[in-house]
Amino acid sequence: MSKAENIDPTPPLVRIRGLRFRRGSRWIFDGVDMDIPRGKVTAIMGPSGTGKTTLLKLIGGQLRPDEGTVEVDGENVHALKTPDLYRLRMRMGMLFQSGALLTDMSVFENVAFPLREHTGLTESMIRKLVLLKLEAVGLRGARDLMPSELSGGMARRVALARAIALDPMMIMYDEPFTGQDPISMGVLVQLIRRLNDAARISSVVVSHDVTDTLRIADQVHVISNGRVVESGSPAQLQESGGDWTRQFIQGLPDGPVPFHYPAASLREDVLELPA
Amino acid sequence: MNKKTVIEIWVGVFMALGLVALFFLAMQVSNLGTAYTGETFDVNARFDNIGGLKVKAPVTIAGVEVGRVTGIRYDAEDFRAVVVMGIQEQYLERIPEDSFAKILTAGLLGEQYVGLDPGGSEDTLAEGSEIAVTQSALVLEEVVGQFIFGKAKEGT
Amino acid sequence: MIGFFAKLGGWGLQALTRLGRAHLLLLSMMRGLLEILRRPRLLLDQVFSVGVLTILIIAVAGLFVGMVLGLQGFYILSRFGGETALGLMVAASLVRELGPVLTALLFAGRAGSALTAEIGLMKATEQLSGLEMMAVNPEHRVLAPRFFAGFLSVPLLAALFSMLGVMGGWMVGGGMLSVDQGAFWNGMQNGIDFREDIINGVIKSVVFGFVCTWIAIFQGYDCVPTSEGVSRATTRTVVHSSLAVLGLDFVLTALMFS
Ligand SMILES: Nc1ncnc2c1ncn2[C@@H]1O[C@H](COP(=O)(O)OP(=O)(O)OP(=O)(O)O)[C@@H](O)[C@H]1O
Ligand SMILES: [Mg+2]
Repeated sequence: MSKAENIDPTPPLVRIRGLRFRRGSRWIFDGVDMDIPRGKVTAIMGPSGTGKTTLLKLIGGQLRPDEGTVEVDGENVHALKTPDLYRLRMRMGMLFQSGALLTDMSVFENVAFPLREHTGLTESMIRKLVLLKLEAVGLRGARDLMPSELSGGMARRVALARAIALDPMMIMYDEPFTGQDPISMGVLVQLIRRLNDAARISSVVVSHDVTDTLRIADQVHVISNGRVVESGSPAQLQESGGDWTRQFIQGLPDGPVPFHYPAASLREDVLELPA
Repeated sequence: MNKKTVIEIWVGVFMALGLVALFFLAMQVSNLGTAYTGETFDVNARFDNIGGLKVKAPVTIAGVEVGRVTGIRYDAEDFRAVVVMGIQEQYLERIPEDSFAKILTAGLLGEQYVGLDPGGSEDTLAEGSEIAVTQSALVLEEVVGQFIFGKAKEGT
Repeated sequence: MIGFFAKLGGWGLQALTRLGRAHLLLLSMMRGLLEILRRPRLLLDQVFSVGVLTILIIAVAGLFVGMVLGLQGFYILSRFGGETALGLMVAASLVRELGPVLTALLFAGRAGSALTAEIGLMKATEQLSGLEMMAVNPEHRVLAPRFFAGFLSVPLLAALFSMLGVMGGWMVGGGMLSVDQGAFWNGMQNGIDFREDIINGVIKSVVFGFVCTWIAIFQGYDCVPTSEGVSRATTRTVVHSSLAVLGLDFVLTALMFS
């Protein structure tokens, strides 16, 4: 942690300290400290069900931590009043795992939605902006389709166009690559990189896809069992040859990252022995 | 015509229909359309028994409504009921003072109302005047009782 | 035994928190009124899907209920030679009770369940979360217009129901059974008081509209975001709305017409 602070003197965009969060009696996060630097692509990796989506929702202020603080751009997200929180969210884009498009509006209207809600732009300006954003994700031709007529991958790209519509200071991508063919995957990777470098938008990418994520990320955090187990640049991680990298790349079921949801031992469960 | 315009038209039609329905209920179904809302003057009448007469019951002359009962109370001095009738202003000084008030029933089992039979006097009813000659309501039990009593007398 | 009481207590606590959430939601939707006043278009679209699309079933039901009232009323009244009171009987039962109550029940079945399912699915597909992350308050932007649309539509639908019911009764009484037209309308006008009957009927339908829409929206917003959760919430909307309407009808009638 302190390493990252030493390298980058500017205060981090997102600063998470002592974060604890639980669902029922299970602690999803048990003391997470994490910094997400400005103007970089930060990847958050971890096996399915570790709470990556949950972490993004905590950063966006949709969930409230049990302990600890989350600061975005110097503001404590969970201490903000509702109007201030909404003002902060206007500067954060989020790409949901499911896309979360509004199903009663066409693709065009979905991308235009944040513009109509938050800006007083004229109709022709909105049209231009929307078409540009759709062009960026390669779906300008699909503007009149309804969300139900899109494939999962297309819906995710439309959602990306919508997330960047307001030109936010940061974008959180929840699994942007799943459901994309190699070509659109390549385009997406480039797009995220380009948004990051050209528009100075900081990016947080949540993904399972090790190779592609390592390709675009400047900084990687691995979470497992409610804690950050490793962080550093992709090169550092690959060099250090940490156990998790090997396990992830080779897809081994056993290693430091558990494949199983916490449970009693198989023998106890199957034989119905008392725990 | 695009979808937005269609929606606007339909919502407009809906609002209009709803308001028409409310207007219909007010004017055609309820008494608002027929009710007299102008000025009235009060005339009192004393009855031995008002039967089932209620406030708001119509007051008629020759079957035409000229007012409504606005109050009913019991006068403990002379043990009679005082019925206050609000008569429409247009009949002020038009109804002879010696008119005869009786409590009638619309139909066999209908509501009771006050019927006025005009007299021949030169003087007319005005605010606060009192009708002297009245006929009480027909109370069914009394009529039946009298009938049976009469029959019994005949029999002996 | 202790387990039973613990369960009972837990259940009660849960019911109380739900009630609390429902009221907080109501408060928030009231605040959403500001946004609606600024952008009436939001309300317009919802009045269409909540109100206009319910007209047909209300109209048909109103007409038939009125016709049945005409028939049944005629048979009963003619035994006492009281056919002239047919208009009054039809109108009084419609305006005071059947109009508001049946409209609210049909509304809960037709529009309320649709509202719950729509909002529940929006929640299940993360559309509501998505709105929040776009800095748009779904309670103001999505729920409030639906709430006020329902609140506005039900009294109008109830008036429509009563009007068509009176027409239906008149068609049967005046048309098929040759009740005297003048007596039909006169009896009605003399017997139905504007303030006592019509206004009270409208008040009833306003209350029912408020409660039914509130229940529908809350059930959708509070549902478990899965297919099963949405289906349960939809059922709950219809059941709770119907019970609330019937219970409130009794209370309101006792208060108004005593
Ligand atoms: N609404 C909820 N109620 C209870 N538990 C939940 C809820 N949502 C998520 N969880 C639990 O929180 C944990 C983390 O969920 P989350 O969606 O953040 O995982 P994830 O890391 O994004 O997984 P994936 O990679 O599969 O998307 C899961 O184990 C899940 O069981
Ligand atoms: Mg996830």
